[in-house]
Amino acid sequence: MAAESKGCKGLFDEVIDAGLCTLCGACTGRCPYLAYYQGRIALLDNCTRIDEAQCYDYCPRTHIDMNAISQKIFGVQYSDGEIGNTKEVLIARSTDANITEKAQYGGVVTTLLSLALDEGFIEGAILTKTSDGKTPSPFLAQAVNDILQCAGSSYMACPVLERYNQIPEDNSDKLGIVAMPCQVLAVAKMKANPPANRASIDNIRLVIGLFCTWALSPQNFYQFLKENLDLSEVKKFDIPPPPANRFDIFTASSKTSFPLEKIRKFTMPTCAYCLDMTSEFADISVGSVEDIEGWNTVIVRTKIGAELMEMAKKKGKLQIDKLPSASLAHLKEASLLKKKRALNEIIKRSGDRNNLIYVGLSTKLAEKILE
Amino acid sequence: MTKKQLMKDPLNLVITGVGGQGNVMISLIIGNAFVRDGYIVTVGETYGASQRGGPVMSHMRISKETQYSPFIPDGCADIILGMEPVETLRMLGRYGNPRVITIINPRPIYSIDVTGGHAEYPDLDKLVEIVKELSAQTWIINATEEAQKMGSPMFANAILIGALIGSGVLPLDKKSVEPVLRETFPKEIEANLVAFNKGIKFVKS
Amino acid sequence: MANIEIDAPGTSQLFIGNEAIARGALEAGIGFAAAYPGTPSSEILGSLAQIAKKMNIYAEWSINEKVAMEAAAGASYAGIRSLAAMKQNGINVVSDFLANLVMSGTGKGGLVLVSCDDPSAISSSNEQDTRPIAKWLDIPLVEPGDFQEAKDMTKWLFDLAEELGTLCMLRSVTRIAHARGNVKLGELPNKQQKAYFEQIHDLKNVMPTRYIPIPSPVRHLFLHAKMDKALEKFESSLFNRYIGPDRADLLIITCGSCWLYSQDAIEALKLRDRVGILKLGTLWPLPEKFVMEHLNKSDKVLFVEEIDPFLERSVMELGGSFPPKAIRPTFYGKRSGHINAYGELNPDMVIKAVSTILGLTYKARDADYGKKAEAVAKSNVPERSMTFCAGCPHRATFWSIKNALKLDGHDGVVTGDIGCYSMALGPAGFFQVRTMHCMGAGVGVANGLGKLGQFGFNQPVLAVVGDSTFYHATIPALINGIYNQSNFILIILDNSATAMTGFQPHPGTGMTAMGEPTKVISMEALCRSLGARVEVCDPFDLNNTTAILLEMMAEGGGAKVAIMRRQCELVRAKKEKPPYKVRVDAERCIGEACGCDRLCTRIFLCPGLIWDKKTGKSKVDEVICNGCGVCVDVCPQGAIIKEAA
Repeated sequence: MAAESKGCKGLFDEVIDAGLCTLCGACTGRCPYLAYYQGRIALLDNCTRIDEAQCYDYCPRTHIDMNAISQKIFGVQYSDGEIGNTKEVLIARSTDANITEKAQYGGVVTTLLSLALDEGFIEGAILTKTSDGKTPSPFLAQAVNDILQCAGSSYMACPVLERYNQIPEDNSDKLGIVAMPCQVLAVAKMKANPPANRASIDNIRLVIGLFCTWALSPQNFYQFLKENLDLSEVKKFDIPPPPANRFDIFTASSKTSFPLEKIRKFTMPTCAYCLDMTSEFADISVGSVEDIEGWNTVIVRTKIGAELMEMAKKKGKLQIDKLPSASLAHLKEASLLKKKRALNEIIKRSGDRNNLIYVGLSTKLAEKILE
Repeated sequence: MTKKQLMKDPLNLVITGVGGQGNVMISLIIGNAFVRDGYIVTVGETYGASQRGGPVMSHMRISKETQYSPFIPDGCADIILGMEPVETLRMLGRYGNPRVITIINPRPIYSIDVTGGHAEYPDLDKLVEIVKELSAQTWIINATEEAQKMGSPMFANAILIGALIGSGVLPLDKKSVEPVLRETFPKEIEANLVAFNKGIKFVKS
Repeated sequence: MANIEIDAPGTSQLFIGNEAIARGALEAGIGFAAAYPGTPSSEILGSLAQIAKKMNIYAEWSINEKVAMEAAAGASYAGIRSLAAMKQNGINVVSDFLANLVMSGTGKGGLVLVSCDDPSAISSSNEQDTRPIAKWLDIPLVEPGDFQEAKDMTKWLFDLAEELGTLCMLRSVTRIAHARGNVKLGELPNKQQKAYFEQIHDLKNVMPTRYIPIPSPVRHLFLHAKMDKALEKFESSLFNRYIGPDRADLLIITCGSCWLYSQDAIEALKLRDRVGILKLGTLWPLPEKFVMEHLNKSDKVLFVEEIDPFLERSVMELGGSFPPKAIRPTFYGKRSGHINAYGELNPDMVIKAVSTILGLTYKARDADYGKKAEAVAKSNVPERSMTFCAGCPHRATFWSIKNALKLDGHDGVVTGDIGCYSMALGPAGFFQVRTMHCMGAGVGVANGLGKLGQFGFNQPVLAVVGDSTFYHATIPALINGIYNQSNFILIILDNSATAMTGFQPHPGTGMTAMGEPTKVISMEALCRSLGARVEVCDPFDLNNTTAILLEMMAEGGGAKVAIMRRQCELVRAKKEKPPYKVRVDAERCIGEACGCDRLCTRIFLCPGLIWDKKTGKSKVDEVICNGCGVCVDVCPQGAIIKEAA
């Protein structure tokens, strides 16, 4: 089914005003009418494009033909597996203590990016940087030191793709990007149907996707943080793997924990409608590992992803192992659960089992997930 | 040579353009020249807010008899000096008549309505044709273009004054206007006199 | 402005009405003039100020009309002939003082008030007839019917004002004030006035008996005696006259510019021998006997006057004085609907009224030509909306205001005020301004909005005022906001001039009306002294301006001030060459494509940028562009290039 473009008004009607916006930044940064500001997408003026617009086309919450995109990225139909198309599922951790100290878990993302940059595989990386005020914003890292500064997560949504959109059209630097599943989807949409009047999407050579169950709304969560903590002291946020069920906030000398329930009300409403836990269209997807502290789960999905992992192994940058089968089973279970929940929410919203809103899945596959 | 007479009393001259083009300056120069030659002149101007990019017009009523009002009654213009093409047509629509003589500078100034896409600026050639059709006599003077060649679009005013004088429709000659030009442009008088004489030449060729 | 001081009695000059009034004041031996600029009145003080030093008079741009009038009264008390001039709105500002001044009486120097009304509100927020204030407050009122009268009447009015010891008022309208016509000059006086405030000093230290409105009933009685004396003068005034046949089919009663329209109409209809015109120059107190004498000229009477039915009502009040058996004429005018009771008039409207009453048909031009000309003009002439000049700092300011409000996302409200920036009600300022009333009202309205938090109001409130307006009328409102902790941002659009009315100086400019350097009353120092947070922005720095506004909105808590400082482009352009040469790189311009959608020509709307339909690209109109370079930062493609000129 060919996706129908509906322009900026369609984007607002179906996504932004409908509460489905992921704040991925795919629509901002280049368009002069749309702007990201403090957890919202603002419409600065009326755009007359009602039947064709890139803001609508690349939004990860407008129609996505999963098969078409899978064909583009992997050369095959959309996988019916729980964690998408994979080459290998591994665990890994950085061999560099400087990295593991700052990183969320095993420091794999930082290590891979640093390596890619050192080896000239990429010339820059679009990342999320958490400011001193603890608000995340997109950042183009062009040196290893820049990458290190972006290690760790704030768990808040951040318009990472805005930074890609801002790159001048005539810039041909090879880039990496670290993105949430929704952002990876937007990149995949762009790869399937390259944007006009922006730097070439083919310049993005490496997409590292993160695992995500949900993201926090910058607007509400930031307000909560500000009311409860001295933000300038905060060093790191963490959600330890289940069954911890808490949100930890570290300062240099202390740790504050909130029950996850208290935090969950600040999640983005759109996350309830997201099927993707493992960034299925990335080159490499990275997350935590249940029960194995200090390591990352790494899903290698593409040839490029495999090459990079191989290089990291060869150069001794990463310590790599197989993911224990029990952990893999857990991962698959969690991922499938997210898909099921999301599909149920989507059907509840549309009121029609055949209307999956933005998700372009075959009815057969949808029914299989819902089983 | 005897002094020429007004072709009609009162002689109704409309000067039109866009705010900032120099309407008031032209009407002031022509008006002063007439007053010095012993005429009774009334000039009505659009002023104030409409100065900011809006349509502007000066109504000049020239008489030997009495002080006329600053408004030319509808349909009663004798001469229209149009510094901008659609504004010339706007004036013809309201003040034109089969006897009207028109001098037009065919350089468009687009309104924000046109630029913004809320209004259409007509094809220039078609526009000039309409102006010709509605006028007993039409002079087309590329004043802005010529002025730009001289270094500043503001010289268009002196060119148009030259054209108006050169056309012979007013009982004014170079000698009546030159001293007023000298007083109006004390600094750039040489260039303005060149422009003025160009205008006279254009209208005669 | 014309040289109003030329000493060439008997020669004719081409003056606008305002210059004629100023010349009349000079011929009357005026010593003191004060005004606040306001179209269509500004050139009265403007032309006096320009020659003040040379003619040894004093002229000032006062902070507002009330102060101007009070200052002029002060000069009158010291024996100096003085004048205050203002537009119709100024009369409202000054009315409290006037209501007391008429009771107190003026000094030895004649005191004249000139009020210029703006029918159709061509350059005003409102349309208002100020003649009724003369009736309301008992002020002798005159109105010139042409340019010569504007001069002659002004001169005469000083004599009258001095003789009566009361304020006299001259009303003018746009089409006299701002139209040009012949004025034959009179003699200029050569005697120097001496100022002295006379006081009564005696041992009992008595209360002053002059220059105070009390005891009011007694003062009121004196005032009525003055008005009786004025009436006596008016009955024989040569500014009132009749032209036309002894017995007319129609009698027009008119005044002001309508006198010219009425003559034009009669001329166009060729009715000189059938229609008479009774032209009144002295309007209040109405010269009743003179009017009654002429009322029997016709059994049909048409009142031709602008805005209110002032003469119409006043003459009809005379009805009671008609002899019992006299035939009453039929009255036509605003009450009958033959003349509009709103908007300005013109000869065609009078032609129409007269033709209707007399059952005539009038044809100005060949009917076929007329139809065709109207039709082609209608279908080919595009609208031409007003806008800020190319390079105007206000466009940049409202761009940032718009973006800041949209980014903030709390549906912020902008209250507006009086000046060029009133155009921000429309596309020039991206439709940002929501309220507009009189000078200073926007800040007052913001004061109210900013106190509604307890009712759940959380919209940011931004009040925009010009620099001159700031000094004129907003300072008490700002103090009120700071004192009562109202939550709003006062945005002062400081373009260093009273731009709308012709770049007159104000207390922030460091220059007097007479061109003398003086102290700058710093608006930021003033606001800071009141305890307000003050930020000064360059509106051409769009990003910084937007960021500061966002930050101030987020901060909340009481009145704050943001000053947008950039000189008026028209003032700058007079002194310097454009800073940049600006062009559009057609290669980079993506026009209507996604990612732009013609932002610069469709939304930003600077007249210096035009849309080339043929190429589908934007283009700089070199004739209009002033080279400010702001559009360079608006273009999302970096397709607009500025190079140092």
